[in-house]
Amino acid sequence: MEINHSDTRQVSFHGEGSKLFGIYIVNLLLMLFTFGLYYPWAKAAVLRYIYQETEFEGSRFAFHGTGKEMFKGFIKAVGIFLVIYAILILAVWSQNNVILSLGMLTFYAAILLLIPVAIHGALKYRMSRTSWRGIHFGYRGELKEFVQEFVIGGLLTIATLGIYSFWFTVKLRKYIFGHLRFGNIGFAYNGDGTEYFKLHVKGYFLSLITLGVYFFWYVKDLFAFFIDNLEMNQEGNVLKFRSTATAGGYFKLIAGNLLIIIFTLGLAAPWATVRTINFIFSNIVIEGALDTDKIQQTEMDYRDATGEDISDMIDIGLI
Amino acid sequence: MQAFDILYYDGKTSVSHQASLVLERDHWLIQFDQEFEKQTVRWDITQVERDMSFTSLFIFRYGDFPRETLECKDENLLTELKRLYPEKAFFEKKFNALLRQNTTVLVGLTLGLIGILLVSYFYVLPWFSEKAAEQIPVKTEIALGETMFENMISHYQKNDSLTARVNDFVKEIDFKTNYPIKVTVVREDDMNAFALPGGNIIVFDKILGKMKSADELAALLAHEVSHVHYRHSLKNIFRSLSGYLIISLLFNDINGITAILADNSNMLLNLNYSRKLETEADEKAVEILKANGLNLNGLVQLFTLLGSEASKAATIKLLSTHPLTTERIAYAKKVSSQQNAPVKNENIEKKWRAIEAERIK
Repeated sequence: MEINHSDTRQVSFHGEGSKLFGIYIVNLLLMLFTFGLYYPWAKAAVLRYIYQETEFEGSRFAFHGTGKEMFKGFIKAVGIFLVIYAILILAVWSQNNVILSLGMLTFYAAILLLIPVAIHGALKYRMSRTSWRGIHFGYRGELKEFVQEFVIGGLLTIATLGIYSFWFTVKLRKYIFGHLRFGNIGFAYNGDGTEYFKLHVKGYFLSLITLGVYFFWYVKDLFAFFIDNLEMNQEGNVLKFRSTATAGGYFKLIAGNLLIIIFTLGLAAPWATVRTINFIFSNIVIEGALDTDKIQQTEMDYRDATGEDISDMIDIGLI
Repeated sequence: MQAFDILYYDGKTSVSHQASLVLERDHWLIQFDQEFEKQTVRWDITQVERDMSFTSLFIFRYGDFPRETLECKDENLLTELKRLYPEKAFFEKKFNALLRQNTTVLVGLTLGLIGILLVSYFYVLPWFSEKAAEQIPVKTEIALGETMFENMISHYQKNDSLTARVNDFVKEIDFKTNYPIKVTVVREDDMNAFALPGGNIIVFDKILGKMKSADELAALLAHEVSHVHYRHSLKNIFRSLSGYLIISLLFNDINGITAILADNSNMLLNLNYSRKLETEADEKAVEILKANGLNLNGLVQLFTLLGSEASKAATIKLLSTHPLTTERIAYAKKVSSQQNAPVKNENIEKKWRAIEAERIK
């Protein structure tokens, strides 16, 4: 039996750029020879590697998703996009202004609906496929609720010329983390939209005034706003997340990554990725009492990767 | 039987059990102490699966969701598994085999990949985009060019009277193409002219104002018509698109910076490509001029005019899409010296004088 009573914990990353580079190269070659069809397997390999090198309390995380599952999702996602684009192209072809505007409207409405569907599906899939010590994560959000929240927020954002987007982002984070589970551990996000808005206004103008120098404090503040408002709850025991990232640290990360990428014409991107993951994990501290032996399996299996693949296609960046 | 030290997770809670693993012919036995009692778990060999692993940790999973898990660090386990269950292939996936090679193989693969990408970028892609451009029906190309023209012309101020005169001039020359040639003169303080797919040619009035002879205008038009005739714009569009695709694959989109880098490198390479197209257009222009009995000296005059302008603004035009003017002047002089001065065509000269009269206004 091991019960760890230490009150601060960290996730650590042991990945190496060279190993990730090897995976990337093999992936690229196989994708080239299969005209891109290998993509789902390539992605599974990268995720598996990154998860395996991520450690918490002496145990590694695991990604259980397979190329086959994601390939099925990939095919469905391609099908969905084909239909949506076919509608648009047919509308343009018709050269009739009424049909054209109807087609455009359908197109944008479909994309607006597809984004929350993709996020929802991706979260369900990715969380179900993530485990630590055999206990799986899970996402319990309801598709209907989430789409509603997203469409209302999205329309409000458009109507307010983007100003509402700050409150919208915080609302989405609250919803997502509120429905995230790690066995019997729940999560919560306590950010406040007004505070988030102020942070952006301050960061934006100070960056302008200081000719960009303040930018590193700006990103540091945004990261802290994300992490510091996060908490985990194990049967009433609350654990808080805290960011230790500094502006100097961000400067080193960003400047270093830029140099790495520019001087190798992008070939060394895996090293930049490893640096970024290292930076993120080393700057998150989890505080509070956690019984690492008492996490119960509670979540169901979920194998549909369609959301994961759609969100890749519209470039929604989930980690 | 040899026993291996492992960590065992039952898939119900996160408790990590220090256990021992014994391999039998058709099952595995996992034994550990729990609450001072010895527990034994039996894994049927047919349901054991190994995780695709990139680290030195061996991970095995068992049964349906939620699965039981065991982790082992002992290298000997692998040899023992191979000996005991040679027919079961859960030990080496092909992908891993590729990755477990030494550094030399990996470096070789990397260089090979870069080689493939370079070859496809410089040879396969131009060929492919050319073929693709050839597949577009002329009707579609003309429609596409019309749309581009409508979009573009709104940014310019059209000179209607000069446009009419130049189009009269165009009718006197046989450009040896099936495309409907339509010239539009616009007011612009720049020495330039360009062709859109399908037959639209836009000429800036500044270059027209500086021209000295009908031959010179004919040379310019012949050059632009050749771009239309060989579908150069269309080929360029296809190539830019596919080039961008390959480059973004190579740079595997990590952030915006690579995207900008990729964009610019593609532009630089396109420059190279367009030099080839310009040369092709120059050659076709010579053919047209000869066939119409026009003096090739017009081409020399045209390039000299462009050259003088380019040297004035050398820094800005450093990345101009036209080939080095000195080379083009040399080429024009060479072909011109091989030609016996033709008799001037009175109709063409008349139309040219109309243009001259119009541009003075």
